[in-house]
Amino acid sequence: MSIHTINHDKSQLFAVLQVLKKYNLKGTEELLKKEANIAVDIDDDKIQQDSDVSSVLTGYKSDGDPETYENSYLELKQFVEGSLDIYKHELGMILYPVLVHMYLELVYNWHTEKAIALMKKFGPEQDSYYQDDLKKLAHVTKRDHMNGNELTDTFKSNQFIIRMSRDTLSLLKRHLHDKKESVLLNIIQEHLYFDMYEGVARNKNQIDATSGAVVGEATRQDNKTKVYYGIPKVPDIQTLAAPVEDEEEGTEDAPDKPKKKKAKKDPLFSKKTKSDPNAPPVDRIPIPDLKDNDKVEKVKAFREASKRVTLGPETLPSVCAYTLLNANHTVTCAEVTEDSSMLAVGFSDSIVKVWTLVPQKLKAMKSAEQLQDISTDAEDVLVRMMDERSGETSRSLFGHNGTVYSVSFSPDRTLLLSCSEDASIRLWSLQIWTCLVVYKGHMFPIWDIKFSPLGYYFATASHDRTARLWATDHYQPLRVFAGHFSDVDCIQFHPNSNYVATGSSDRRVCLWDCTTGNHVRIMTGHKSPIHTLAFSICGRFLASAGSDCKILIWDLAHGHLVAELSGHEKSIHSLIFSRCGNLLASSSLDCTLKLWDFTKLAEDTNSEDVNISHNPDVKTGDSYMLRSFATKASPIIALHFTRRNLLLAINMYDGVNV
Amino acid sequence: MAKNNESDLYGTTFSIESMKVIAESIGIANLPDDASKELADDISFRLKHIIQDAAKFMNHSLRTKLMYTDIDATLRVKNIEPQYGFHSVDSLPFRFASGGGRELHFIEEKEVDLNEFVNNVNVKAPLEVTLRSHWLCIDGVQPTIPENPPPVSKEMQKLESVDPINKMNKPNKESSGKPSTGKQKLRNVETVQIKQLATHELSVEQQLYYKEITEACVGSDETRRTEALQSLASDPGLHEMLPRMCTFIIEGVRVNVVQNNLALLIYLMRMVKALLDNQSLFLEKYLHELIPSVTTCIVSKQLCMRPELDNHWALRDFASRLMAQICKNFNTSTNNIQTRVTRMFSNSLQQGDKLPLSSLYGALEGLSELGPEVIKTFILPRIKAIGARIETHLEGSLTSNLDKTASGHIKALLVKVLAPILKNIRNPPDYFEEYKADYGYLGPALQSAVMKARTQPTPAITPSNTSIAPVGATISRTVTAPMGIVQQTTSTPGRTIVMNQAGRVTTPTGNQKIVFVTQRSQPQGSIHQSQSSVQSQQNTVVKIMSNANAQSQQQKVVGTPQKLVVVCMPNTGTTNSAVINTQGQTTIPQSSTSQATNLISPGLNHNTNQPPFSVVPKPNFIQQTQKVKQDNVQPPSIDDLSHLA
Repeated sequence: MSIHTINHDKSQLFAVLQVLKKYNLKGTEELLKKEANIAVDIDDDKIQQDSDVSSVLTGYKSDGDPETYENSYLELKQFVEGSLDIYKHELGMILYPVLVHMYLELVYNWHTEKAIALMKKFGPEQDSYYQDDLKKLAHVTKRDHMNGNELTDTFKSNQFIIRMSRDTLSLLKRHLHDKKESVLLNIIQEHLYFDMYEGVARNKNQIDATSGAVVGEATRQDNKTKVYYGIPKVPDIQTLAAPVEDEEEGTEDAPDKPKKKKAKKDPLFSKKTKSDPNAPPVDRIPIPDLKDNDKVEKVKAFREASKRVTLGPETLPSVCAYTLLNANHTVTCAEVTEDSSMLAVGFSDSIVKVWTLVPQKLKAMKSAEQLQDISTDAEDVLVRMMDERSGETSRSLFGHNGTVYSVSFSPDRTLLLSCSEDASIRLWSLQIWTCLVVYKGHMFPIWDIKFSPLGYYFATASHDRTARLWATDHYQPLRVFAGHFSDVDCIQFHPNSNYVATGSSDRRVCLWDCTTGNHVRIMTGHKSPIHTLAFSICGRFLASAGSDCKILIWDLAHGHLVAELSGHEKSIHSLIFSRCGNLLASSSLDCTLKLWDFTKLAEDTNSEDVNISHNPDVKTGDSYMLRSFATKASPIIALHFTRRNLLLAINMYDGVNV
Repeated sequence: MAKNNESDLYGTTFSIESMKVIAESIGIANLPDDASKELADDISFRLKHIIQDAAKFMNHSLRTKLMYTDIDATLRVKNIEPQYGFHSVDSLPFRFASGGGRELHFIEEKEVDLNEFVNNVNVKAPLEVTLRSHWLCIDGVQPTIPENPPPVSKEMQKLESVDPINKMNKPNKESSGKPSTGKQKLRNVETVQIKQLATHELSVEQQLYYKEITEACVGSDETRRTEALQSLASDPGLHEMLPRMCTFIIEGVRVNVVQNNLALLIYLMRMVKALLDNQSLFLEKYLHELIPSVTTCIVSKQLCMRPELDNHWALRDFASRLMAQICKNFNTSTNNIQTRVTRMFSNSLQQGDKLPLSSLYGALEGLSELGPEVIKTFILPRIKAIGARIETHLEGSLTSNLDKTASGHIKALLVKVLAPILKNIRNPPDYFEEYKADYGYLGPALQSAVMKARTQPTPAITPSNTSIAPVGATISRTVTAPMGIVQQTTSTPGRTIVMNQAGRVTTPTGNQKIVFVTQRSQPQGSIHQSQSSVQSQQNTVVKIMSNANAQSQQQKVVGTPQKLVVVCMPNTGTTNSAVINTQGQTTIPQSSTSQATNLISPGLNHNTNQPPFSVVPKPNFIQQTQKVKQDNVQPPSIDDLSHLA
């Protein structure tokens, strides 16, 4: 279960063996016996050990006197408060997990009255960000309630991680040694894990910045793996761009125009040719070859990008708001294609609706007979295969059987993915406007889905506490990212497609490696479920935000929290970086859109000397916020920067709450 | 730390009683206490657990309100059959009932007639979701268009007016989102910048807008005026121009009252109405300026060039409704607007006979718009005195025709507003004698109106009607007659129009029969039904007057000093109120000499273009005054108003 298990003693093995015996799993039992070198037959002491089974597996069996709990907690609290100021706050971190485990132990041993008294007395004085969990725990008042309860299961089967300086830890150990409180010692032994580090003890602000997750902070070990956060140079585009460009030039009439363009574009390509030391090797994950059509598209994107406005505090973007009317509480998600030509919206009544945002209508492909007449060699075969008369400004896709929680366009805009409460993923064709594939694998509602920026792969996040990586041509997921203790609420691909970031209701942000399926970064600091994630354009930073109304910026190089941007008043559901990477835009249910100066933040961060062990100071404050724009009773549910850095905001008019 | 108290932590649980009630409802009588307790605890836990999980579904549906669908989804996830048959668009209001010491909260369930339900084929289809785009911001500046919220919220405007320091503290982080340049920032760091408290610098566009709007509002093009008023009533970004707009209105009223330019006064009042209607404006700051102007239009002695012809009554009515709207919207316990306005009007009533009839009408109309209670308290006790006064004008043959017109209007007004009230406070047998005894001259008319009101189930007439009909609608062309027939009575059968100069004391004409016809226009669509009935009655009233001399009565001086500033027109020298300042605390002692001048030279010398006494020369408004003067060169004739309808 937990990888941090220290007490790997025999009693646990015995217990496991007993379980195996109980269910008559002979083969496994033999193997385990062999491996653990246990020759003894455990039949003899079966009766005596019966109670041990539940004890070891639940970890809450205790014959401690229920009267002592309150006193030992009080003593511990007094010790914490009486210690020197520099250690006080680090020591204070153990109070919450100790209280939680004391409570659960009392509840498990049927001392409900005592448990409630303890919780009522000490619960409210815990840090405000633990109150939600305490409230959930407080509902658990019987042993039966602990069965299948997500939160108590998490506490039971995981150790609460506390980072502590060497000095503080030795102080604590001395205290525990002196007091010899069996209840306390037992809890600390069994359920707490101390991640010791060398250096000065942290102050309250530093501690508050990174605490808040369900199982405590991340250990340093978790974030030691190297992450290739750079963006690899794109050789295929560079080599391909030129010939395609020539072709295009040939078709164009003006002879002097291409030269100009070329001159303009060269620096754009040359910038990319400088290889990033942090970029992953190009062949780290297999990617299907680009089709001709994709190449043309890429060139077009580059050309658009050259016309892009570089944003900054002095040149703010324009925001175009698309308001969905008559949609009270029925819209659940929205996404705009990379080239800003289409908008997909998911509804709570299982429908996915696609709108065109440009004058070109949404056309369907011609029928099979008609398609036979088209010569495949024709230059404009892609245009000719579409039925001109079928153009519509919006189209609906029916098929789901539950609220559609997320939609995602493929980069080439021919496919659309949607995920729903019915635990299924659907792949839709935007050429024939029907469902192509239904991917099944998740057991519970799927909260989020994202297409990889390179296409082909996609990732999902679900209520079943896993995130999964899929490929469009596989029925089964390629990777299952398991490790979150609660719902995985959001998912995002790294721009280089090698990593996937997830945000969860256990209030942790994880970065997963697509090749191995392991987590390479665990970042704690959120105080509420996380609803949205965004990678910076450079790939080094990750922004996350959720119900706690704060935007946290993480440095993926070491997994540090860099900044905490607060200003929103309700949960944040959308984050996006401008195409130039200079601005961060956020939107929330409080009907505002805020722009943040990311350039300044990145500069401030880079000027600091940061390494694995040294946490940078978390930057906070208003100084990074540039503007806040309010809408009229319309929560903004999605944001999108066009290739030219125009910001599109999709909002839904909430006529009911006006 | 420790933000929550313990009750928050544990919340509530089901009571044993609820369990028993539920058990009874499914046929289990006498559920033991311990079983109920066990059940209550378990059900509370399970429900809380389900609601916790439902919150996840709520979050992912981008809502902040938990709905039944979230609970259903949670139940499905937990493999429990969802609750079918519950659906609500909005929140479910709990009804509360108590009795016999028991309290009960329940959801009201309506009985549905299945036959009707099945046969109803025309089910309302839900509206299709549509997409609409607008600019939320352009290069970092949020345009003030109706799609965007007002740049400065009403609360913010209020805060600014109450506490201007607040605005100074954060000059750069304004929500209006003007791009801040680096230079400005530098200056803030280096030097201490003391800002003016009210920096309302208008941009070029705003100046242009101001010019266009004001010109359109007082110009002659009615379609443009409608557009301009529409803009004033709906545009969210006007707060910066509000002081200018208010000054424009105030100065306009001042100038045009002097010049008796009825049309312009009406236009200005319509501007006030538009500003009142604008939801995004915090008008409270400017009420001390607007109320006097509106008051002027209600009680001013003279509002038009030809009081005999022009329908200045409509302006008074309209302004009164505006005043009622102001009172309704802005009355608070601290500013007491309604009380002060009421006192102002009732004080002017106390002036007795030296109050000109037009002002009397205005004061009565102003009071009657403020609601039945006000009418009951302030008008009803005076009805005898007023009745006596108008009787002298209506019945006496010596009075001017102008006074007669005014008295007729007053009578019609009083009958209109008093009838529904009397209907309620008096018991059915309406005896002529009683009415006569209680209400004097107006008794018979009131009696017949009350009788009429009792017989027909008229829609309740609320004198303080909220919907203000555009004033133009109540003005229609009056019967034209040459100006020259002053003091001349023609006794043509049918409609005879008696005209007179304002305030001129008529010479007694002996026992002549004067047929008097009110010139009040026939009501149009937006006027109340009741009014028409009253009016038709009024229109047919033919009064035969005998000689009566009002001169001696008019010379009576009311000794009680008024708590009003009575502002008079230059040259008139009268105290017949023209502008009543609500804030006034000084009193102008009234002298009998001024009364004498009033009698000798009634104020008709308004042909001078001299600005009113209190105009402080402000350079920025000179232009405006000139413009009004220009307008005055060719005053829009009353005929122009017919298109307002």
